Amino acid sequence: MTLLSTLYGIFSFLGHYPGYAVSYFIEALLYLIVISLLLIFVIYLFRKFMARLQLRLGPNRVGKFGLLQLIADALKLIGKESILPKERDDLPYRVAPMIVMIGLFLAFTILPYGSLIGIGSLTVTNSAVSLLLVFAVIAIMPLGEVLAGISSHNKYALIGALRSIAKDISFEVPMMLSILAIVMMASARVPESLSISSIVSAQFLPYAILQPLGVFVFFTSMVARASYTPFDMGESDSELVSGFSTEYTGMRFGIFYIGLFGSILLGSTLVSLLYLSGYNGPLSTEAGVVWLFIKAMVLVLISFTVWLSMPRIRIDKFVNFGWKYLLPISFVNLILTGILTLGLGW
Amino acid sequence: MSDLMQLNMGPQHPSMHGVLRLKVKVEGEIIREIEPVIGYLHRNAEKLCEMTYYCDNLVYFDRMDYVASMNMEAGYLEAAEKLLGIPPPERAVYIRTIMNELSRIASHLVWAGAFGLDLGMLTPFFYCFVEREKILRIFTESCGSRQETNYFSIGGVYQDITPEIVDHIKTFLSEFPRKLEDIYNLFAKNDVFLSRTRGIGYLDPEIAIQYGVTGPMLRASGVPYDVRKAEPYLLYDKVDFDIPISKKGDSLARFSVRFEEIRQSIRIIKQIIDKIPEGPFFNPKAKKPMMIRLRGDGEVYARTESSKGEFGVYIVGDGGVKPYRVHVRSPTFKNLSVLPELAKNQMIADLIAISGSIDLVFGEIDR
Repeated sequence: MTLLSTLYGIFSFLGHYPGYAVSYFIEALLYLIVISLLLIFVIYLFRKFMARLQLRLGPNRVGKFGLLQLIADALKLIGKESILPKERDDLPYRVAPMIVMIGLFLAFTILPYGSLIGIGSLTVTNSAVSLLLVFAVIAIMPLGEVLAGISSHNKYALIGALRSIAKDISFEVPMMLSILAIVMMASARVPESLSISSIVSAQFLPYAILQPLGVFVFFTSMVARASYTPFDMGESDSELVSGFSTEYTGMRFGIFYIGLFGSILLGSTLVSLLYLSGYNGPLSTEAGVVWLFIKAMVLVLISFTVWLSMPRIRIDKFVNFGWKYLLPISFVNLILTGILTLGLGW
Repeated sequence: MSDLMQLNMGPQHPSMHGVLRLKVKVEGEIIREIEPVIGYLHRNAEKLCEMTYYCDNLVYFDRMDYVASMNMEAGYLEAAEKLLGIPPPERAVYIRTIMNELSRIASHLVWAGAFGLDLGMLTPFFYCFVEREKILRIFTESCGSRQETNYFSIGGVYQDITPEIVDHIKTFLSEFPRKLEDIYNLFAKNDVFLSRTRGIGYLDPEIAIQYGVTGPMLRASGVPYDVRKAEPYLLYDKVDFDIPISKKGDSLARFSVRFEEIRQSIRIIKQIIDKIPEGPFFNPKAKKPMMIRLRGDGEVYARTESSKGEFGVYIVGDGGVKPYRVHVRSPTFKNLSVLPELAKNQMIADLIAISGSIDLVFGEIDR
């Protein structure tokens, strides 16, 4: 039983095609709302966590425990005047935030979420190549950042965009190599080893234990993908004012901000799916999504701690780090995985 | 045609510490030319001093280096009291020395927090400011004001310190060193921080002396020059302390020298906090501050060690209740002028690490 079949059960009186159309629409709407609320929760969590770490209180005025603060902030951003730079390239300037948003929300629909009591499986898309698909979608997001930086015709934004490109190139190869190791390991046990749900079911032990190097490379890449400190060279607010988003105001800026936290949530969910056996755990057939949520939130908090305690690394040192350390490590991980899988038959 | 792109950093830039503007010519990420532009905070303090009574000029000095205002007051009074011949009594000298060192600690803490922010560390800033807040609370108790204290006055201090204040200083001194080590470790044990500062912005001692660089920046380049030792004022010839130096000359050295200075300041205060003598806290000659006047002509130059470096005050008097001319040798101005030498052919990210390590306070540079 899936969410879709539950919904179709309600709307089947409309007939076959209209019933499915309405069910799909409502499912999509539900996901949009749930993911947005989740993102708001992550931002709230960040602000509270940051405040505790910095001996402050954090938001505590709007709503109980400041829970409505983020809603108020979003309303403020929407209500703000949208100031457009005079010398912009209009189309890419307007499209850039949308690309970030679309990439983010699309990626969330591809992931498997396990099941919940009463609803059944929460997975939206059951693709046999969902792993490839999700990384293809994630790869769209940097395009938005680069477009934003170049189209605003601001020197800071340009430097920020160039740094983003340099950063993305240097971590994506090691990231894909560490994914390859996972596919190799999963292929020994399950037929569709490019599907994330098969990879989750193939984890008799969490892959974080079997591939400690792999999880290091992948988590580092996810930090760099989301681009927060130590790897926020593209934004680097103390050097480049605000990097590629310097010329954005109002909700367009808000979208980049949401994109940052969305990337953190996405990265944490991916790490928990691929390396921490995702929605599997005790009683997981009943409420796997709870396990996934707990694992992802723990990783989100780890990410926040890293973010708040680290200074920013310099771009050339990061490129060095990517090519001279992450890449060899991911190769070593690949070879070790090959030995484990083929030699020892794990 | 040149391939250089001109980048205008400031005066409104997140890490330009006030209103510094840097005209930077970059080739990609590498800085080829750099020119600091100052003057956005010019308030005519020197000229204003000519129009004001000797006793009131302290107000302008408070607002020069506003993060270490006691240092500025000590610098002005060192000159003014020498010129007017009104030495402070023993008790006031003790109080001044203690407050001076507390102010230095507060200033270095502000610097450390801001330096962290420059490099992208958000958290140490708050730890530094919480500790600084405790010092400011001591200031508030002793004179009613947090930052622009206006505490010292000609011939003494504005009001006496009570035993409670002494107790609070002692409590602070007993708790602070542990917190200081925490803050220090937060920086110094972080590999990314080390990679951002080690070897960045090397300042040659020869160049430093040529530019007139003083203070922790000079000492980080290996020149053991500190006015507190070279030409002692207040109580500095009676207390035991070291001048921390480092031969490295990079941003990391400037960082460690400043933290070592905080430790030495604690040491100084600990030595004298129990020995404050009883007695008057101001010179009876200064009982009517507005009446303080200079008999005949006179000029004086006095230098003190502020938290940023050698702070010199030159006063010319031609009789009367107002000075004829006041000139200030601002340490940060000299320290800033060496920035183009340090940041040339470095990366943009390094420029921030270097300008952050100088400890810029614009109230003092522009005056």
